[in-house]
Amino acid sequence: MIRPAILALSLAIAPLPALAHKLIMGIFPSGNQIEGELGFSSGDAPEGQLIEVFDKAGDKLGETVTDADGFFLFTPSEPVSHRFRADMGAGHVAERVMLAEEVAPIVAKSNGSAAATISWTDKPVAAAQPETSASAPAVTATTPQVVPQVVVAALNQAELDAIAKAVRDETRPLRQEIAAYKEKNDLQTILGGIGYIVGLFGFGFYIAARRKLKDAA
Amino acid sequence: MHIVDGALSNPVVIAGAALTIGGLAQGLRKLPMEKIPVAGVLSATFFVASLIHVPVGPSSVHLIMNGLAGLVLGWAAFPALFVGLLLQAVFFGFGGLTVLGVNTLLIAGPSVLVGLLIRPRVQGAAPRPAAIWAAIAGGLAIALTTVFVALALAITGDEFLPAAKLVFFAHAPVMFVEAMLTGAAVYLAKQVKPELFDDFQGALQ
Repeated sequence: MIRPAILALSLAIAPLPALAHKLIMGIFPSGNQIEGELGFSSGDAPEGQLIEVFDKAGDKLGETVTDADGFFLFTPSEPVSHRFRADMGAGHVAERVMLAEEVAPIVAKSNGSAAATISWTDKPVAAAQPETSASAPAVTATTPQVVPQVVVAALNQAELDAIAKAVRDETRPLRQEIAAYKEKNDLQTILGGIGYIVGLFGFGFYIAARRKLKDAA
Repeated sequence: MHIVDGALSNPVVIAGAALTIGGLAQGLRKLPMEKIPVAGVLSATFFVASLIHVPVGPSSVHLIMNGLAGLVLGWAAFPALFVGLLLQAVFFGFGGLTVLGVNTLLIAGPSVLVGLLIRPRVQGAAPRPAAIWAAIAGGLAIALTTVFVALALAITGDEFLPAAKLVFFAHAPVMFVEAMLTGAAVYLAKQVKPELFDDFQGALQ
């Protein structure tokens, strides 16, 4: 009577599986700044969290705080390796390092020294080439091919930055999803872990049994 | 509760590793052949229980089940929980390899303490009192773990009391659930397999 009650109670209270509570951080170049993201693997983002930045020797280079979505920006001024650290207390710490080689172009960009306009021109694809090959000539012959004649002329730096920003914004959900995916515990991994445990203890049992048999002999 | 790489100062990490090696040696000495399969099962229980997470405040907590391991295994809980923690660190990135020693101490230490304190009372008792003692053991093991965690953080530099309070209250629901589960598990084991708590050639002295 008591036992089923206790069992039912503990099962009712026993929580449903949720995501892990690891604090994760990602950093990537963003124009002349370093953009980063901080979040719990459950998807929650800590707002207003202090992020400290250190160089290789452990000297503090500066600090920044996260916005409502857990993003933060830092403008590097020296081409040295940057170590970003968030300490939320109670053992929740996340660290990421951006190496000097990666920081150097970012610093160069903000100094404007190496900001030579990267420009390119795409020659329009030779559009109306008569398709004489055997593959489905009937179709290609009747439908005139419309090839968009986009000529990308020399872009100026502002336009390039705008494109880079748009790409960053577009890929942000993707990055978040990848980060979340990395933290996923799937059944295979869990079963694999249990398999390891069985194997390890089986091995221990084997050793112990061998010793016992040897003693008995 | 897993402390991650980089959260603790080096002396704490090294001291934790040293104590864990001692605990492992003692645990392996006190692990008779007959208990190896049980240790494996409890190791797997711990491994899986830690994957069940309860969101609490800004963080989340999970079941640990170290009380039950201590009740059944005594000192041998050390190697059993160590294996579970090692695999969690490798497979899921819980904690980390450098802090493995500290984490083992934080989880297996209370387990052994609870085993030493409460196991004798469970051994001879009838199922119902045994279940009540087991529930106390389950809750106490978590409480001790939170205190240990706060201590480790305090030595590193956090203020002890706020950290301890935070970790303790975040784990209050876990304490309750674990007390219930440990009580139910021991009640069942006492009725079906009472020999589970017997001593094998000095498993716990």
